Amino acid sequence: MKFFKLLVFTFIFCAPPAFSQNLEKFTVNGYIKDASNGEALIGASVYVKEINNGALTNEYGFYSITLPPGNYTLGVTYLGYLSVSRPFVLDKNLQISVELAPESTQLEEITVEDTEDQPTVRNTEMSTNKLDIKTITKIPTLLGEVDVIRSLLLLPGVSTVGEGAAGFNVRGGGVGQNLVLLDEAPVYNSSHLFGFFSVFNPDAVKDVKLYKGAVPARYGGRIASILDVRMKEGNSKKFEANGGIGTIFSRLAIEAPIVKDKASFIVALRRSYIDILARPTLQFLKDGGALNFYDLTLKANYNINRKNKVFLSGYFGRDVFKFDKVQGFDWGNQTGTLRWNHLFNERLFSNLTLVYSQYDYSLAFGKDDRNSFKWNSSISNFIAKPQFTYYINSNNELNFGGDITYYTFEPANAVGVTNGKAVDLSIEKKYNLETALHIGNSQKISDLLSIDYGLRFSNFQYLGPGTTYTYNDTIPGTRRSVIGSKKYGNGETIVQYSNLEPRFSFKVQASPSSSVKGSYNRMAQYLHLISNTTASNPLDVWTPTSNNIKPQTADQFTLGYFKEIGEEKKYEFSLEGYLRYTRNQIDYIDGADLLINRFLEGDLLVGKGRAYGLEAYVQKKTGRFTGWVSYTLGRSELKTDGINRGEWYETRYNQTHNLKIAGFYDINKRWSVSGNFVFTSGTPTTFPTSRYVVQGVLIPYNAQESRNNVHLPDYHRLDISFRFEGRKTHRDGSVRRNTDYWVFGLYNLYARKNPFSIYFSQTDARFPTGQALQSQATQLAIVGTVIPSISYNFKF
Amino acid sequence: MNTSYQRLTALLIFAGAVVFVACEDKINPTLEKANPILVVDAWINNLVEEQKIVLTLTQPYLENVLPAGVSGASITVNDNQGKIYSFKENDKAAGNYIWKPTAKEVFGKIGNSYTLTIVYKGETFKSISQMGRVPAVDSITFETEKETGGTKLVTRGEFWATDPLGVGDAYWIKAFKNGVLLNKPGEINFAFDAGFSPGGQTDGVVFITPIRRGINSRDEDTSAGATGNLSPFTDNDSINVQIHSITYESFNYFNQLTLQTERPGGFSELFSRPLSNVSTNITNVNPNGSKAVGFFNVAAVSSLGKRYKKK
Repeated sequence: MKFFKLLVFTFIFCAPPAFSQNLEKFTVNGYIKDASNGEALIGASVYVKEINNGALTNEYGFYSITLPPGNYTLGVTYLGYLSVSRPFVLDKNLQISVELAPESTQLEEITVEDTEDQPTVRNTEMSTNKLDIKTITKIPTLLGEVDVIRSLLLLPGVSTVGEGAAGFNVRGGGVGQNLVLLDEAPVYNSSHLFGFFSVFNPDAVKDVKLYKGAVPARYGGRIASILDVRMKEGNSKKFEANGGIGTIFSRLAIEAPIVKDKASFIVALRRSYIDILARPTLQFLKDGGALNFYDLTLKANYNINRKNKVFLSGYFGRDVFKFDKVQGFDWGNQTGTLRWNHLFNERLFSNLTLVYSQYDYSLAFGKDDRNSFKWNSSISNFIAKPQFTYYINSNNELNFGGDITYYTFEPANAVGVTNGKAVDLSIEKKYNLETALHIGNSQKISDLLSIDYGLRFSNFQYLGPGTTYTYNDTIPGTRRSVIGSKKYGNGETIVQYSNLEPRFSFKVQASPSSSVKGSYNRMAQYLHLISNTTASNPLDVWTPTSNNIKPQTADQFTLGYFKEIGEEKKYEFSLEGYLRYTRNQIDYIDGADLLINRFLEGDLLVGKGRAYGLEAYVQKKTGRFTGWVSYTLGRSELKTDGINRGEWYETRYNQTHNLKIAGFYDINKRWSVSGNFVFTSGTPTTFPTSRYVVQGVLIPYNAQESRNNVHLPDYHRLDISFRFEGRKTHRDGSVRRNTDYWVFGLYNLYARKNPFSIYFSQTDARFPTGQALQSQATQLAIVGTVIPSISYNFKF
Repeated sequence: MNTSYQRLTALLIFAGAVVFVACEDKINPTLEKANPILVVDAWINNLVEEQKIVLTLTQPYLENVLPAGVSGASITVNDNQGKIYSFKENDKAAGNYIWKPTAKEVFGKIGNSYTLTIVYKGETFKSISQMGRVPAVDSITFETEKETGGTKLVTRGEFWATDPLGVGDAYWIKAFKNGVLLNKPGEINFAFDAGFSPGGQTDGVVFITPIRRGINSRDEDTSAGATGNLSPFTDNDSINVQIHSITYESFNYFNQLTLQTERPGGFSELFSRPLSNVSTNITNVNPNGSKAVGFFNVAAVSSLGKRYKKK
């Protein structure tokens, strides 16, 4: 801790020499919002022309710039909005809040007030991708359902093992190595219907940002990426309702001011409705069965005064599959977030976040209460997260704060009842405390060089009450046995781990339109998603670091070149390389038993990983035609004793080539078309070489003991969708209050049967003794045809 | 928890089928070539009958012919009390090695340990197994009910037995319907104590429901317009349930075997495990010698039969 204190001291008192002149300076600060609905704009660029410098707004739309007294001009720009420039006299601290008007219609020529080169704002950010909800809604999707996570798959460095697979893989990392945050609450399972749809209701989402590298010190807890999803605050100007009927979901979102410009809310609900349509024809639904998934997203905010704002947001989602009244399966996430923004003074912005988040699933089988099997499992956490931003001067922005998270894991709460006699199969709960302190400064050294440097100190404690087990040493291919156990009392620290996670990034402005950026960061992960299936599934359990499982850590290095092309900078180009080494990666002993197993830790293997690649990205952001091309050349490997003869093997989600093209074109005032094309190398899989029969069962065998020794055929797919805007005016020419549009989509346009897997099995037939068992290889496509969709969306 | 996986799988197929149509094609991929190695099928027990050990060779995975039997090996099993059982090759069936009991003689004794020795082409393979205890099958019941999630009436059987006190017993429950062993990958039924796994805390109780009901055949109803499986029992069908005691190693073997061989396909493929080799307890005394696969287990057996009569 001494080290940490020293660091804080260094930052505050030593680093920026400009401090000595503080007395002669004043601060201009304020909020940047959307003029149409009062939503804060995240990452808007606020710059002061005269000093050729500025800042980006934070997650709450706040900025603060400190300058010597004088006459200045403040420029505010944000993509998709009309820029504003406003002169001001700085002779005292000033508040300038600006509301930007969205570019009204898509087809009108965009008039940018000031086409001169805008000063580059201090921004060393790299390896991040931002998707605004407007773009997300344009992307053609499976069954026409706008989907935040599916949209990410079109970005460089992001991949999936196939349709229906939950989650996403970033730069060769596992699904469980991404931290998914919804208004700062961790979401432990981001999928509906196994993996076909994500849990975020697009009507309630404002902003999506994915950190693949160069992760700021304020984020931690996962080693591959951070996905930061921010919800809308709710229209603070007027009542607004958005909704739609799609192939899968029907949706309705209502937002309105509670007190105009002071308080507002949003309530957004989605529900699948296939069960309602199918009820008359499916007997199990009539018998009390269920097949549905839904989510409810809520948020309210209250602007107490200029210095205090509070936000309350919540999410509740569930998937329910039931054969009848008793038997079935359901799962879901619940999150609640309370945030308080407080301005200590003109330059010190703070936010305190309190979070509760939970994921749970339950299964029930049996015919009645006397003969049943019921099982549920959950992970829940409380988080307190104070964060501070100190806008030291126009060249330094200091962020510091901490996180404290208390976890409760319930691996299995299971009861089997036989003729009224219950057997408790439950596994004891686990309790953990994760704490972190972080500090980071973002500093502009000169017009040429900006740097970001920070440090995160994280600590994880496994707390009693609990029982720990020790196992014999790993013998490759053999499950380990328990050799000892020890009980711990309430609140006792069973084991703890700490990590120092340095973060560093730099930007060299090579020319007004191009820059070179680089970064190094270390990340530590204390929760592990236990999953050894091809795709993650809702029954996968999260398990904490313990006496047997060490924290996963990763070191990532990135280097990139960024350029804006064309006189009007219509194009952006970037080329980034990354290299990541990981330690304590989990794999599984053959035959590992991951569910309701007290001795789960004995079935885990530990290895190391490496992933490296190159990402190229060209984007056209403005005009009638917009879109991007993203290409990733990558490799992701693991090395684990007992797997693949102890040699390096490719991960199941390794993809050598990953090309995505997304394009959006406005045909005329009412029709627009979107298309995307995806090409990825086939993911690795394992084929047997041989077969043998023991006790009448045909068993596959790989003589080389390989893992992932072959690749599936390549994957490619083209999707297209058309959007048709309803009339904007009535027949008499008056403007309609309601607007609406239709979306017609075709997924997998040329009906390619993209293989998800190739599997080997004996045929289902029963063979009499003395006849040869028949083996077969089957190629499976989850989506084997073109899937059309239609949706109707409205707003009033 | 493999049976939970099976049930999850059923749910998945069901949920997936309502929304999507997955598409499967039989293919004929090129597989890496491999040299054949010795396969040992040595599951012997204390039933009053001939005990058989079968030696074959591995074959290319997609070669759908009977494997060649391995002749000319010498096989013995000796227990920890000095008794030697010799297995003689059957002249009529290559690769089948038989031990014939004399009158009233049974193979082995509960609690004894057994060493299998196979000498083949100058190499010696060994394996050790212990005969565990086995509970009696108390009864078998039948029940006719609506198929899960459907309307069809199906009759299922259920056996009743109680695991003896003391952690660490393991069993293979073999069901013979009308004299035919139900051994499709999805029908293999095995238990650790009365439940699914050592971590499951089910010692000394009645076998849990999915194991008790794991004696039902799974045959797809292929008649026109039909969906789902055939009723496991129809009038006059007989069932014979045998509980074989197995070692912990054999239990792990079954665990791996089920994961590797039960591939119902469709949406369940989303949640399949990577292909890996099923373990073996046959080792070459020379660690650098050629490998073998297969398993050796000496079981004590209890059994009960019953015929289903429609009321």
